[in-house]
Amino acid sequence: MTSDTIGVRKPLRIYCIEDNPLIVFHIEHLIEDAGHVLAGFADSFSQLKADPAATHIDGALVDIDLADGRTGPDAAAWLKERGIPSIFVTGQQDVANLYADRVIAVIIKPIVAEDFAGKIQRLERRI
Amino acid sequence: MSSSDLAEPGALDQVLILAPYRRDAAYLGQLLAEYDMGVATCISADELTAYLAAGPGVFVTTHEALTPTLIDIVARHLNAQPPWSDMPIVVLLDRASPNSRIRGQLAAAWPRSRQLFYQRPLTQVELVSGIQSALLARMRQREVRDHIEREIELRRELNHRVKNILASVFSIFEMTRRGATSVDGLADDFGARLTALSNVHSAVFEAKGEAISIAEIAQLTFDPYRQMGISRIDASGPSVMLTREAGTTLALCLHELTTNAIKYGALSVPNGQVAFHWDILPDLGPDLSVLWQETGGPPVVAPSRSGYGTRYLRAALGGLFGVKPDIMFATDGLRCEIKGPLARVACNPEAPDSVSGL
Repeated sequence: MTSDTIGVRKPLRIYCIEDNPLIVFHIEHLIEDAGHVLAGFADSFSQLKADPAATHIDGALVDIDLADGRTGPDAAAWLKERGIPSIFVTGQQDVANLYADRVIAVIIKPIVAEDFAGKIQRLERRI
Repeated sequence: MSSSDLAEPGALDQVLILAPYRRDAAYLGQLLAEYDMGVATCISADELTAYLAAGPGVFVTTHEALTPTLIDIVARHLNAQPPWSDMPIVVLLDRASPNSRIRGQLAAAWPRSRQLFYQRPLTQVELVSGIQSALLARMRQREVRDHIEREIELRRELNHRVKNILASVFSIFEMTRRGATSVDGLADDFGARLTALSNVHSAVFEAKGEAISIAEIAQLTFDPYRQMGISRIDASGPSVMLTREAGTTLALCLHELTTNAIKYGALSVPNGQVAFHWDILPDLGPDLSVLWQETGGPPVVAPSRSGYGTRYLRAALGGLFGVKPDIMFATDGLRCEIKGPLARVACNPEAPDSVSGL
């Protein structure tokens, strides 16, 4: 970000890969609180790959266990190959640690708003 | 020796023979093979180490084969055994050997292990039945092991589900708090949403854990209100079994629709009606269609900003069906409709194994 631009940045388009709709719903609000938009969501890695909306995104929030199994790490790798940074959102710190190189941060569930906002700032700095 | 010589680790059904002198090993192997027992023989310390690591059912050895090095390898293996494991050891002595000294020595080197001693010459029947009995004992150990592994797996699954439910509750709380204008309102709405979650959890559990019908979900959602005298909800549709996750989501959606109808919609006035209908459309995939239609209520005004209910319905039904629901604030009554592949939400009774290991 150049310093002489006005302080308003374009909202990021953030995608959410999560199989619990209550959490998608919660995350949608937290994304909006941070001034960004939920670009779409999928409940599985396979749905992510099939979603045309998933190609025009700035970043993704990825749960580890999804509707098609423990495919969150695969989803993060898939996104990374496409140059899209991801953040794990999971209750399973130990599994997240195994795949730490695929993401730029980890948000531990239950999601705490301050932690969420801080991790989203890392995403902002990446873009 | 290649690794393919080793028995399948964990099978615990092979007889491992250490009898390097004369033709003992060949003779024993042939004898046990005649009784359909799987046999592996070893000579060197390296072989012994590798075969022990593969988890033999029974270890059979002649006493003269047991050099201090080999005794030590076996001792280390015995010490490293998991708590369920107790590898039986059959030791073949002979008449001329100092048997009480050998027994004392092995008891000291291999404390708390199951040792059977036979003095040669012995009959085939004696030896075979001794080894068979040791293998049977080993099979029981394997069952204990499998049981422990299942329990560990169940605990892991339970932990995962508890974490999930806590995360859900936390999200419900956070989102309810955002929409709340008073502490009482927050307490009422949060309590009602938790009750809805709890009811569907109990219903799924009672339905043997992995599937629940739409009719049951409708019943458990509407019954408390019917008992309060609100009986103007007509629920109907064919028998459709949903997965646990889909059932939970649908129950929470119905809760939002029902409470909204009671507060602001068709159920807030004496003559309002709600129709909740679902159907299978066989030509399309098949698809499942679900419709909530209110009539006879006060004129509907679309909210200026979406509340918990609407936003949850959009996220939840959208996630469930893979398409966005159609939520219309029509003046004559709220209408919420969604249609999507039945296979995404239905629990296939033909393939219960595909659901979960539970």
